[in-house]
Amino acid sequence: MAMGITFIYGIMRIINWSMGEFYMIGGYLQYLIITHFIGVKEWYIGVILSMVGVFLLGMVVQSLLIKPMFEGTVEKRTEYATIVTIALGVLFTNMAVIGAGPFIYSPPGYYRTTQIITLPVSGTRFIAFIGTVVLLSLFYLFLKKTWWGRAFQGAAQNRVGIQTAGIDVFRLDQIAFGIGVALAAAAGALLAPEFYLHPRCGSIATMKGFEIIVIAGLGSIPGVLCAGLLLGLIESLGSVFLNPSFRDVYGFLFLLAILAIKPTGLFEERERVA
Amino acid sequence: MHTENLTKDFGRLRAVDNLSLSLEEGEIRGLIGPNGSGKTTLINLITGVYKPTSGGIYFFGRRIDRLSPENITHEGIMRTFQVARLFGDMTVLENMLIPAFTQGTSKREASHRAKELLDFSLLGRLSHEPARNLSGGQGMLLQIVRGFMRQPLRLYLLDEPFAGVHPAIKDVMIETIQKMNREEGITFLIVSHELTTIRRLCSRISVLHGGRLISEGTMKEVANDPRVIDSYLGG
Amino acid sequence: MKNISDARISGLKRYSLSLPVLVVVCLLPFWTGQYYMQVFTIAFYYVVLASSWNLIAGYTGQFSLAHHAFAAIGGYTSALLVIHSGFPIWMGILAALLSSTLMGFILGVLCLRMRAIYLAIATWAFAESVRIFISMTYKITRGDLGLAVPKLFLGEGRGVACYFLFLGLAAVTILLIMIINHSKMGYYLRAIRNDEMVARVMGVNTTRWKIFAFIISSGIAGIAGAFYGHYNGLLTPVMVDFNEMAFIVIMVVIGGIRSIAGPVIGAILIEILTETFREFGEIRMVVFALAVIAIARLYHEGAMGTVRQFAQWIARKN
Repeated sequence: MAMGITFIYGIMRIINWSMGEFYMIGGYLQYLIITHFIGVKEWYIGVILSMVGVFLLGMVVQSLLIKPMFEGTVEKRTEYATIVTIALGVLFTNMAVIGAGPFIYSPPGYYRTTQIITLPVSGTRFIAFIGTVVLLSLFYLFLKKTWWGRAFQGAAQNRVGIQTAGIDVFRLDQIAFGIGVALAAAAGALLAPEFYLHPRCGSIATMKGFEIIVIAGLGSIPGVLCAGLLLGLIESLGSVFLNPSFRDVYGFLFLLAILAIKPTGLFEERERVA
Repeated sequence: MHTENLTKDFGRLRAVDNLSLSLEEGEIRGLIGPNGSGKTTLINLITGVYKPTSGGIYFFGRRIDRLSPENITHEGIMRTFQVARLFGDMTVLENMLIPAFTQGTSKREASHRAKELLDFSLLGRLSHEPARNLSGGQGMLLQIVRGFMRQPLRLYLLDEPFAGVHPAIKDVMIETIQKMNREEGITFLIVSHELTTIRRLCSRISVLHGGRLISEGTMKEVANDPRVIDSYLGG
Repeated sequence: MKNISDARISGLKRYSLSLPVLVVVCLLPFWTGQYYMQVFTIAFYYVVLASSWNLIAGYTGQFSLAHHAFAAIGGYTSALLVIHSGFPIWMGILAALLSSTLMGFILGVLCLRMRAIYLAIATWAFAESVRIFISMTYKITRGDLGLAVPKLFLGEGRGVACYFLFLGLAAVTILLIMIINHSKMGYYLRAIRNDEMVARVMGVNTTRWKIFAFIISSGIAGIAGAFYGHYNGLLTPVMVDFNEMAFIVIMVVIGGIRSIAGPVIGAILIEILTETFREFGEIRMVVFALAVIAIARLYHEGAMGTVRQFAQWIARKN
């Protein structure tokens, strides 16, 4: 989630407030695919398919809504992006209620309960963990090793420079957005059996995602990894040593503290040159 | 105004290096130098946008380098930007009113003076246009005229006011600057690459290179200074 | 507009138009039934919220996502104070004003140096914290179960009394915003929105005015929230749900984000539509969201912008 948010921010300098809704869509797609087409055994295909689906959706959304921001037809970019992505979130949430009803769907678990050394671990969480590690590693490799990845890095550092190098920035934007939301969808698909699916399940994801990126600092990819782990740590520690029912609050308090002290996050955002 | 051993570092980059520059009241000084020589940084330092790494800036004997930009304005120092930065959503007239409002001038008085200035600079007919509709040159002119709303204005720092401006508008700018200097005794520091215009306007010129002051004097003296020729050609 | 006198004339025209509207609005409860009177009462509540939000977001350019939180802070402060200490309601309202203004001040100071994106995130985080806090301290606030609030006015004419109360609140808010807009503060706020650095160089104490805007808007929201609590008789954390903020944004965007009448029109319009089409459930929100996207995308000025353009077109025809 956080990776997706940061990635989109890095390229386009906007915050997509509807990331949680893409998470939800990813989850719903995964559910559909598993229950109607493939079956639980091949859940990973479902994840990939829902990622692709949301990727395409993201590209469409981007070209309709986000691109005009950069073509000079819209002033006040940040304001526009905030308004439009919030509205988009509302749109998707309510369409989900209309389309799938206000019910909670529970996809079957991906894997049986396993044991790591002596700790019993829920199968789904285990899978989600592995899946996340795989995805993040792939993403990292993508950024560092492939041509596209380096193009994205370049765009994040110098948007104008990239254009002089002959790259179509708008195409990059579109794909970046698609990738970003696809990541959110992956998160949704992976976590669906654990946290269940309902139209509002995205908002918790958005919250956690934002917590992480603020702690990490916008635009910093490695920061997201550290911050994610940090958040998990803080929540767990807080739950163990203090009151477990306030679990979500600890991360939040930490977030507020970071915002107050170092608003740019722990790993400072690199200033874009152009 | 004078600076004493003024230095500004950005990380490892030394933008202004031990600069000691002084301006006499009422003069029109030109500031020239190759790109990256620290001219805009100097203006930012004087107006409080940047804080010096070391050294001081003095205005009529008082130290001003620790003041916030708003307070520096209250000292009677105004500036323009290289790219015309206006309040785009507000009309030309409204843009003019702001510097006067912050002094406590009433709306009526301020509007009166604004109209005078706008008419003199031939922007009068655009008074009610949103500032974002102005052309580049008009915008630069508005920037300059906006500064004159502050009374008393004692020091005006103009950052490349003539760059890419239509000759007709440039003439209006020059006339306005000269008029204000004559009638209200405003001191000017003008950064520009346009040497002919500088020669026309400025009595003395300072030359910066690499953040250091390498020469100072009349146009003739400076033009013949081997160090200046070196910096422009050698770089 | 060619000169100042023209502007004054069209200003007069605008005010004279609002007189018949005022008359209609005052007579409304006696024409329509109980149900619509309630709808309008709530609409006026949203007018207050939308207008005050427009002050920091539309005018000053500080896109805060915590406005609904201030309403909730005000609401719960007043309710809890009245319940637990037996103070009269008007003192509760005062306390609400104090608490929301104070929180607004704190948030404003925290957000001073933040750029737009961080401001949005920080205010969002603040609002979410308030929501979680209210839910978690259910021992005091009764959390999700809802807090029963002592009602303002009792007896037969309650509905009418509340209608006029909120109408009055809305009118006062609008008046206040208009005064600010025409004053020097209005100029400063707009300058800050356009280019904060240049505003500072022109001598504007941006810190002071940004905080002022925060305080004023949060204070207004707090009072509105407090009155809402005593009107509705019930307060829940749903008030601080992100959807409420989305609602406010929707209202202001559709109505017109940089005008004074915009949030008013937007609030009334959206509230009426929301209630009228209640059977359609989620489709309403879908339509609203689409409308917001369309307006933001195609015509940023919203309904007021259309009205303005129309007025200009008419003026030109004459």
